[in-house]
Amino acid sequence: MKRTVSLGSRSVPMAVARTQLEPVLVRRLLIAVALLFLGLFILLPLGIVFASAFRLGAGAYLNAFLDPDTLSAIRLTLLTAAIAVPLNMIFGIAASWAIAKFQFLGKSLLITLIDLPFSVSPVVSGLVYVLVFGLQGLLGPWLADREIKIIFAMPGIVLATIFVTFPFVARELIPLMQSQGNDEEEAALTLGASGWQTFWRVTLPNMKWGLLYGVILCNARAMGEFGAVSVVSGHIRGLTNTMPLHIEILYNEYQYVAAFAVASLLALLALVTLAARSLVEWKSKQHLADVRLTHKEALEI
Amino acid sequence: MSIEARDVTKKFGEFTALQGVDLVVRAGELVALLGPSGSGKTTLLRIIAGLEFPDAGHVLFDGKDISDRSARERNVGFVFQHYALFRHMTVSENIAFGLTVRPRKLRPSKEQIRARVHELLKLVQLEDHAVRHPSQLSGGQRQRVALARALAVEPKIMLLDEPFGSLDAKVRIELRRWLRRLHDEIHITTVFVTHDQEEALEVSDRVVVMNEGRIEQAGSPEEVYHHPASAFVYDFLGNVNLFRGRTEGERPGAGESASSLLGDAKQDIVYVRPHALAIDREPQEGSHYRATIRRINLAGPLAKIEAIAEWGDPVYVEISQERFQELQLKKGDEVFLRPRDTKVFSSAGRR
Repeated sequence: MKRTVSLGSRSVPMAVARTQLEPVLVRRLLIAVALLFLGLFILLPLGIVFASAFRLGAGAYLNAFLDPDTLSAIRLTLLTAAIAVPLNMIFGIAASWAIAKFQFLGKSLLITLIDLPFSVSPVVSGLVYVLVFGLQGLLGPWLADREIKIIFAMPGIVLATIFVTFPFVARELIPLMQSQGNDEEEAALTLGASGWQTFWRVTLPNMKWGLLYGVILCNARAMGEFGAVSVVSGHIRGLTNTMPLHIEILYNEYQYVAAFAVASLLALLALVTLAARSLVEWKSKQHLADVRLTHKEALEI
Repeated sequence: MSIEARDVTKKFGEFTALQGVDLVVRAGELVALLGPSGSGKTTLLRIIAGLEFPDAGHVLFDGKDISDRSARERNVGFVFQHYALFRHMTVSENIAFGLTVRPRKLRPSKEQIRARVHELLKLVQLEDHAVRHPSQLSGGQRQRVALARALAVEPKIMLLDEPFGSLDAKVRIELRRWLRRLHDEIHITTVFVTHDQEEALEVSDRVVVMNEGRIEQAGSPEEVYHHPASAFVYDFLGNVNLFRGRTEGERPGAGESASSLLGDAKQDIVYVRPHALAIDREPQEGSHYRATIRRINLAGPLAKIEAIAEWGDPVYVEISQERFQELQLKKGDEVFLRPRDTKVFSSAGRR
């Protein structure tokens, strides 16, 4: 601030200077803090993942993926996501449909339950499955008699992944479907469409962007889940290790390049997810703008 | 196709939307369901459409009980208040929807559908908007698309829920006149819901006035306007001044002049429309009372005057501009009001 402002014109320039100067300072400070934080905690680690993965050159990086255990971990992760994501998609659509379009007893309970995986530590959700399906668990003896293995096997991993990721699609769709209301479905009905036709031709197209967004988030979490899966997997190399678990093992064995090479895949997945998410958000914003437009006009009178 | 509702009752939780409603709509009629919000008019319409099901009572089309049929099977055209157009489809696709979802055997060919859509676009005067999306249309255009979409499946009955409620005043008047002309052309049995008495009186063949889940009166616009069956109907169909007054004679029928109006007596409620009050500088023969002019509004065909009656209540009067010029009224002037046409309903609210 200038202190040499003459007395006569003091009040005005000082006031202007203040209102301009301080926000500029505050603004720059805030931006600096945000960027610093972002760089230090997100961009730097991300860069290090890739730098470490390529530390010994592209050859060593690619070599890491020739290891059969690594390949098996990637395969298991993909398979788990391929089962968990579609199941959660169906569940998410069903739950959000029920919640948004119908009134029924226990609706608020259902809404609360959908959020449960968000509020429970993933380790706890893994443990719950051990307690239910493990050898000493509730259904353990019954399952053992029939030689069905769930814990320390793929079914357990899939179950734990489904549990941890099931809110994503439903959470995305419920507000969207609630804001869109029932009118279009009722219109389709009076025009002679069956429930199935109404779903495919009216409901689904209206929620597609929200659905895609939810599926992308759900998939990212399904592939990256560590805690819950860690408890139920048993860490059997080449058999029950998913990518995140395999990374931990490689890291603990000082195989840094291999560990970071696999980690780079997950990091890449995250980047792809972000890009897809931005695209979907942009698309659904256009869509939502349409919805709001019609809603606003509807409310004007 | 005629519509009949017999003793229809519908509750939503604790709230009773309809209480034993009987309604008959003759084939080819254009009927307005008129009432304030919460009167049950929309519920009745949705029950006729099969979008709601009554707790008790029956719905008959052409004398046949169709209470158990779903909306899908009733072949009814329904137009929603907020249009409910399929937002991801173009105007043409919206209109064609009802034809394209038909079972293969009953579905017209692509060319037939295209021809029908074109015909309907012409009918609603939107030929140039065929490939637009609903978000690119104005409210009035959207409503016409909704009408065309409902007409596409050749329904036997058209049901419209507050069809002009979301439009601005000018478009609303245009569109309702257009709807009347359309009805005169295609003669399809039509029921529409509205809370706008002017709309109901202007457009419909018959008006059904509803209040608190019951039908107060059903009749031609002239009938309900000039011979209201209850105080509610009289009150709802136009602006009205209420006077509590003592009436001479045993029980004056509706339309009879009530004499000796006194502001403080309590026996009866006398209803006088603003245009049925005369203003004089000097007291005249018959009943009259003093009032002081508080506000004058000269915009419009009539001079609208708000006065304070001698007992302190506001009274609204409408006189011709010529009469106003003649009297040279000013704010604060003391005048005499003379009711020329009154309706008397007993304190219970019904005649």
